Amino acid sequence: MSTIVGTALTQRFGAETALDAIDLAVDAGEHLAVLGENGAGKTTLLRIVATAARPTSGTLQIFGLDAMVERRRLRARIGFVAHAPGLYPALSAAENLAFFCTLQGVDRARVAEVLDLVGLADVAGRPAGKLSRGAQQRLAIGRAVLHDPPLLVLDEPDASLDSDGPDLLVKVMRGRTAIIATHDHALANRLCKRTLELRRGRVVGVPTRLRVVH
Amino acid sequence: MRSISIALAVARKDLASEWRTREIVPALAQFVVLALVIANFGFQFDSHNAPAIAPGVLWMALVFAGLVAFGRAFAAEREQASLEAMLMTPATPAAIFAGKALAAALLLVICEAVLLPALALFFAVPLTFDEVSAVLLATVGMAVLGCLFAAMVARVRARELLLPLLTLPLWIPFVVIGGQAVQSAMSGGSTTNSANGLLLDLDILFVVLTSLAARFVLDD
Repeated sequence: MSTIVGTALTQRFGAETALDAIDLAVDAGEHLAVLGENGAGKTTLLRIVATAARPTSGTLQIFGLDAMVERRRLRARIGFVAHAPGLYPALSAAENLAFFCTLQGVDRARVAEVLDLVGLADVAGRPAGKLSRGAQQRLAIGRAVLHDPPLLVLDEPDASLDSDGPDLLVKVMRGRTAIIATHDHALANRLCKRTLELRRGRVVGVPTRLRVVH
Repeated sequence: MRSISIALAVARKDLASEWRTREIVPALAQFVVLALVIANFGFQFDSHNAPAIAPGVLWMALVFAGLVAFGRAFAAEREQASLEAMLMTPATPAAIFAGKALAAALLLVICEAVLLPALALFFAVPLTFDEVSAVLLATVGMAVLGCLFAAMVARVRARELLLPLLTLPLWIPFVVIGGQAVQSAMSGGSTTNSANGLLLDLDILFVVLTSLAARFVLDD
């Protein structure tokens, strides 16, 4: 059964068409890489799938629910890593996660588990604004999995991550459906079985099945 | 119940951030004291006209301090891209908005804790319970309206210009009624209670309206 089914997803910003009638289907447990140059529409597509934006037209069903209507219910089941980490610089790494535990309705015991998962246990008490850009990205990834969501939407999560970054992504994506935007074909090859290439808001060719490298 | 705990968590987070960065409160406290110093030299007042002049100075200082405090409430969230992270949780926009408004209101209350005694000192006017309650009641309504418009204009480049244009007209009832209440309290009049009752009615009206509007302003 498909976790995500999008039909003719179109997004216009004034006269500009950022996404042009994209059809999308992602099966449960599948990992899909969305590739494309800057301005191809990757972020726009991912923001729609994460329910952070509404398309101008088209339909989107996630877990069988209408994503335009059931946004709040779906958000409890989606983990989203946006382009910017969106952290509170004055709060420590642990406090950032603890705050989002309250918003997600998750037990605060989860903070220590997640900090350990993303490799930030040693800097748990350091203000997020004083962490390196890569550590901030790890914290943003940790926040996305705080509520153990079955679907992950990751917009260039490898940005600023060090050489261990892909291993972290493998860990957090394991057992979940995931859609990931990246410029890095090698990373897409490692993480995903299938790829969708966008150019100027349109799908290029047919979705490709990639070789899986373990 | 969950909405209340979310609102309190949002407010606590904003106050903790302010406590650590000290971005707003010291500047606001400095501003209100400077406003009083300027008014002290600018107005010719004595013991007879001080209760008539002091409320005007009080509300002018409060209005401008409020614009700064409420403007920053959402501007910082947009700059950090953290508002979207909050909205991507199952927390309702109304609860998030209530937390933001509560924190911004408390920051203004801290400024009022500097402003009111300083006003009593500079203008030699009494500091009464009725006066303090009028200012606190007006702060609630001003906070929810100020935060709603601050959320609306946060993504606009000219937000510093737009926020006063949108907010000030709707703050006029609070300034007029609050001004009357404070003036009455300073001169020992008896109309403060009815003015405070009216301020409470306005607070309830705008708290309900802004909570309903929060979803459309924050999330859609």
